[in-house]
Amino acid sequence: MSTTVTRTRLAVATATAGIVVLAGCSSSGSSDQASGSSCAPAKGKVTLQYWNTVPGMDKVVALWNKQHPNVQVETKNISNDQYGTLGNALKAGKAPDLAQVGYDELPNLRTQSAFVDASACKAATAAKSKFVPWTWSQTSFGGTGVFAVPQDTGPMALYVRGDLFKKYDVAIPTTWDEYATAAQKLHKADPALDITFFDPNNAEWFNGLLWQNSAEMYGYSGDKWQVSVDSAQSRQVADYWQKLISEKVVRTDLAHGSTQMYAAYQKDQIATYVGAAWGYSMFRDNLPKQAGKWTVVPMPTWGTSGSSGDWGGSTVAFMKGSKHLYESVEFNTWLNTDPDALALENKLGGLYPAATAGLDLPALKQGVPYYGNEKIFDVFAASSKKIDTSFAWGPTQKTVNLALQDAMAKAAGGSGTLDDALAAAQAAALKSMKDQAIPAEAGK
Amino acid sequence: MSKPSVMRESRAGRTAATALMLLLAVYFLLPVYFLVVASTKPQGDLAATNGLLFSHFDLFDNLHTLFTRSDGIFGRWALNTVLYAVLGAAVGTLISALCGYALAKFRFRGREFLFSVILGGVLVPTTALALPLFLLFSATGLVNTYLAVFLPSIVSPFGVYLARIFADAAVPQELLESARLDGAGEFRTFFSVAFRLMTPALVTIFLFQFVAIWNNFFLPMVMLQKESLFPITLGLYEWNGQTARAPLLQQSIITGSLVSVLPVIVVFVLLQRFWRSGLAAGSLK
Repeated sequence: MSTTVTRTRLAVATATAGIVVLAGCSSSGSSDQASGSSCAPAKGKVTLQYWNTVPGMDKVVALWNKQHPNVQVETKNISNDQYGTLGNALKAGKAPDLAQVGYDELPNLRTQSAFVDASACKAATAAKSKFVPWTWSQTSFGGTGVFAVPQDTGPMALYVRGDLFKKYDVAIPTTWDEYATAAQKLHKADPALDITFFDPNNAEWFNGLLWQNSAEMYGYSGDKWQVSVDSAQSRQVADYWQKLISEKVVRTDLAHGSTQMYAAYQKDQIATYVGAAWGYSMFRDNLPKQAGKWTVVPMPTWGTSGSSGDWGGSTVAFMKGSKHLYESVEFNTWLNTDPDALALENKLGGLYPAATAGLDLPALKQGVPYYGNEKIFDVFAASSKKIDTSFAWGPTQKTVNLALQDAMAKAAGGSGTLDDALAAAQAAALKSMKDQAIPAEAGK
Repeated sequence: MSKPSVMRESRAGRTAATALMLLLAVYFLLPVYFLVVASTKPQGDLAATNGLLFSHFDLFDNLHTLFTRSDGIFGRWALNTVLYAVLGAAVGTLISALCGYALAKFRFRGREFLFSVILGGVLVPTTALALPLFLLFSATGLVNTYLAVFLPSIVSPFGVYLARIFADAAVPQELLESARLDGAGEFRTFFSVAFRLMTPALVTIFLFQFVAIWNNFFLPMVMLQKESLFPITLGLYEWNGQTARAPLLQQSIITGSLVSVLPVIVVFVLLQRFWRSGLAAGSLK
């Protein structure tokens, strides 16, 4: 079923792609010279375009619009084909002033010169101290520019069915070694029970695991990219999961977020979920009968390192062609640091804020009824602080993800291993960069 | 001896045919049945319970959530869909009737050529036209307005074809001539005589257009950006893209789908008598 959906989406996306591109050709007379470096307030009323995928964002924007009659913001939801829509608009010279871009997609769009550097605006550079450090280093690409403002993050943790662990007298794991042992014990106690599932079509999730182990995929020095998707660090993660897959103590037949996945959880067939902060509502809303049975503990660690990983999260980027950089900065910093805005985004869109002030939102300080009134967000806040700040994404992340998924599916099917997947992704990244004439070499 | 065996055979044949029909009916109705069942469940039961069995009956809660979500935007979408479909189909039918009648009853140079071109239009899928239409509307500044979806909806080459065939068959030339002799102008002749005789075909055309516009997804997706102009199809699609962050949207999408198919069923049940005679008349020629 999911293949059909993807195909339709693809068809639709391709069709719209053509349309926007052509639209760009037809209106090539318009000028888009506004180079972004100057930062002067506009005279009179300004209207900004802001494209995003967050449910309920129109409400947040309405709040801003009410308070700022001279800077009105229009939103457009592009959740069905976020980067397709954005890419086409860029090609057509009709990009919005601001757009939601995931951290892992930032470098790719930057090599396509999609962004404008807002560091000429004082308000932009001053915002740095208001965000969790790793988020800011990714939006500035480790430099002094400001190409986007962090919006939300996905610090990872382990969701655990405490009751099942108790029932089979298995200790809740704190390291990955203990996790593997627990996997064996649970599966032995009940052959229908697995500790978790490995979704071969979810490279983003796997990347979160790599991140935790500081498996840097990219480096940049000497005017060259160093690709190290296939490294000792990443192999450690791959070998670990390969072992669990080979021993058949994790499920490989479930797609993340699918009805089948929820059904398996509902039938007590899976005992944990290696997930991010934004995932808390998935279980609450889809498995209400398991209220009180779930608990959230820190992500299992590698040996003595306490590092955690991040899965997902987005920024709001300053898009090239915007004629109102000053106002864009004003709105963007308000959107991602104002407590009222953050609270609304968390409530309506489930965003876990990237702003440090956001971690203290009342909603994130309370016990969550579904999780036995535990303060689960304390766990995520702690996780957030332990995320490797030097991890950086590269310009060919999408290619890497696709190559990973292709090979991970084979590994899950028993032909090939996750190590092969890393090798394939490494080769795909290098080839893609060569094709785009981006100087790159294999890193160590 | 042979006679009863033949009868038995034919009875067996009939039973087999009925069984096959029954099977097909179940096959076609199963998704609708699923939709009805799923619409009555709370979000938490969608994955957790058997998809074809009822669990908690939450239909009214679901409807309430659906119509109050995001300040009642779904009601707006429903209204838009009705507007696009009813008005579009009505105007489209009228235009088709006028064209078909003219092609059937007036002799003029290039008539058959014109008809062939229109027939050719039947073969072009509307999806293929979305792109050129977008460019056209983009140039005229009509993109992202009601008209962007409405104007293309009132054109139906198939309607013209059907109207012509039917006018040929059902409107006698003599009747038109006597109307003219009685002093009726061309428009009067059309509306008082021909239009009435063509009613069954026109209902068919209306239904075709109504369903086509109601289910239209691609054209609005290409043309519209403002949520307040969306038809239901596009609105539900947009919601579907957000379920990862807002899981409860899924239930509203399912309930919304049920609500969106009901009017089509109602219209079909009400107009099916005309529909059948209209189709049959078209097939004769």
